[in-house]
Amino acid sequence: MIDTSGITMRFGTVEALTALDISVGDGVTGLVGANGAGKSTLIKILLGLLEPTSGTAHVLGHDIATESAEIRRLVGYMPEHDCLPPDVSASDFIVHMARMSGLPATAARERAADTLRHVGLDEERYRQMGGYSTGMKQRAKLAQALVHDPSLVFLDEPTNGLDPAARIDMLQLVQRIGRDFGIAVLVTSHLLGELEKVSDHVIVLDGGRLLQSSATSDFTQHTGGLLVEVLGGDAERDAFGEALARTGLTCRPRGQLVAVDPPPRDLSLHALVRDTAADLGLGLVRIQPDQAHLEDVFLTQGATHG
Amino acid sequence: MAERTGVIHDIGYRGYDGPREGTGALALTLYVTGLRHAFGLGRSGRSKVLPFLLLGLGVVPAVIVVGVVTMVRLNSLPVSYAAYLGQIQMLVTLFAAAQAPVLFSRDLRHRSIVLYLARPLPPALFALTRWASLASAILVFTLLPTLVLYGGGLLAGLDTGDETPVFLRSVALQLMLAALLAGITGLISSVALRRGFAVVASILALIVVAGVVLIVQEIAAYEGIEAVGEIAGLFSPWALHNGLAQAWEAGGRSTIVLTDAWAWTYLATALVVCAACLALLVRRFVKVGSR
Repeated sequence: MIDTSGITMRFGTVEALTALDISVGDGVTGLVGANGAGKSTLIKILLGLLEPTSGTAHVLGHDIATESAEIRRLVGYMPEHDCLPPDVSASDFIVHMARMSGLPATAARERAADTLRHVGLDEERYRQMGGYSTGMKQRAKLAQALVHDPSLVFLDEPTNGLDPAARIDMLQLVQRIGRDFGIAVLVTSHLLGELEKVSDHVIVLDGGRLLQSSATSDFTQHTGGLLVEVLGGDAERDAFGEALARTGLTCRPRGQLVAVDPPPRDLSLHALVRDTAADLGLGLVRIQPDQAHLEDVFLTQGATHG
Repeated sequence: MAERTGVIHDIGYRGYDGPREGTGALALTLYVTGLRHAFGLGRSGRSKVLPFLLLGLGVVPAVIVVGVVTMVRLNSLPVSYAAYLGQIQMLVTLFAAAQAPVLFSRDLRHRSIVLYLARPLPPALFALTRWASLASAILVFTLLPTLVLYGGGLLAGLDTGDETPVFLRSVALQLMLAALLAGITGLISSVALRRGFAVVASILALIVVAGVVLIVQEIAAYEGIEAVGEIAGLFSPWALHNGLAQAWEAGGRSTIVLTDAWAWTYLATALVVCAACLALLVRRFVKVGSR
């Protein structure tokens, strides 16, 4: 879907992207990075709205330097910021946007109605968008990105400003676009936890550099560590953690649990946990394998930005 | 709320394999939408009031003039085409100033320009199409009363051979005027994104300056220093139009009488100003796209 090689973007003395080589395939790809990591800049370059200082890229087989109009015909873009005129109804606006993507009038009306239904705007679609809640605005923005049946959509922070329930709805919608609609998705977020739930592949940017690009399962694989919970409160948890630490393991409290890092040598961690609990006379509630999270990429790979 | 009785069957996502229009057809769609929006068509009922009120005010006097010609049996129009436009210049300018923000400020202010620019139309073509919509709307605004004068005059028995060349020359000058007014008001509205600011700035740039130019021209004519009046005319689109309408017999009236060389200078000035406005508009939209 997307291939870039050596994309560098400089704004004056600031280097927003540095020699970026990434490739994006089918399904949902998460583009992760802190605010200012260069996610939006990269999307603008791929749309042909910004000319990179150096480097080349292909989107759907088209060169961004020479065929950007053709690319913009085949991709959809949902920008991060508010971009809806307040004095038009979603229905009229989405039809107009479909026409601006090249759909004939009848097809534009049909597709607009279909798309609005898919994103979950029902009767509200006939109301002026100025009165919409943030959740409805995000849905309308998503609808305009999908209305021309693109082969690829760029979703820039689709969960921005949404409450937890709306956030989950939006993420499920993103997942459906990638899996059921058959449209490749490049979705950005600065919240790492969100993307690990919906994306098949994750690209991590940091300060304009590629930190890591791999399948989501690689990020969230089992680390070999354990999470242990014992009966009682913080005092019991700390006593248990300290006892484990005395045997040479690295432990830290995580909520009500004690997180045990993977043991350095081949040792039966489960037996040790059991014995330690028995020695202290503490009741074990649960022992579960610890999973890595996307956040760990930033901790282990020495990110330069917070 | 009434309970929903119908059942919506989710038939899943359907793709689109039908034809997709080329860039030219897209620009045409945008042009037509823009032209309709300039008159408030396809927008809220309230936004139709001002353009149609102004249009009515611009046409009614022409109907009266035709009535007078018919009843009194004059053998020429008491107010000819370009001179009539000079009379309603305030209305034309107000129309341009009030409707330019509709086409140029809205997308920039609400940032919906980003959605347009993420679509196939290049930013430069977008800006030019918007300008073409506004220029056409202004042309419709000026053409309508002159058509009433021309058609009504012919029906009242005026000589076709006399009227037609004058009318056609006036239409040519209206083209120039519409292009200029659309360029200037469009440029102002693409920079001053609040509608009030854009309207006031356009009125300052067009009506107030035109007034000052007229005063300077009157004084120059009274004092007998033609050169000052001729140079002053270069600063207002209306003075350019009125001066050329007088010089090239498009049924115009002007305080100053242009020599041939000055007439060509006026035309060249109009073209240069229009081209400069277009270049700045294009630059503005290309820059917005990269932000």
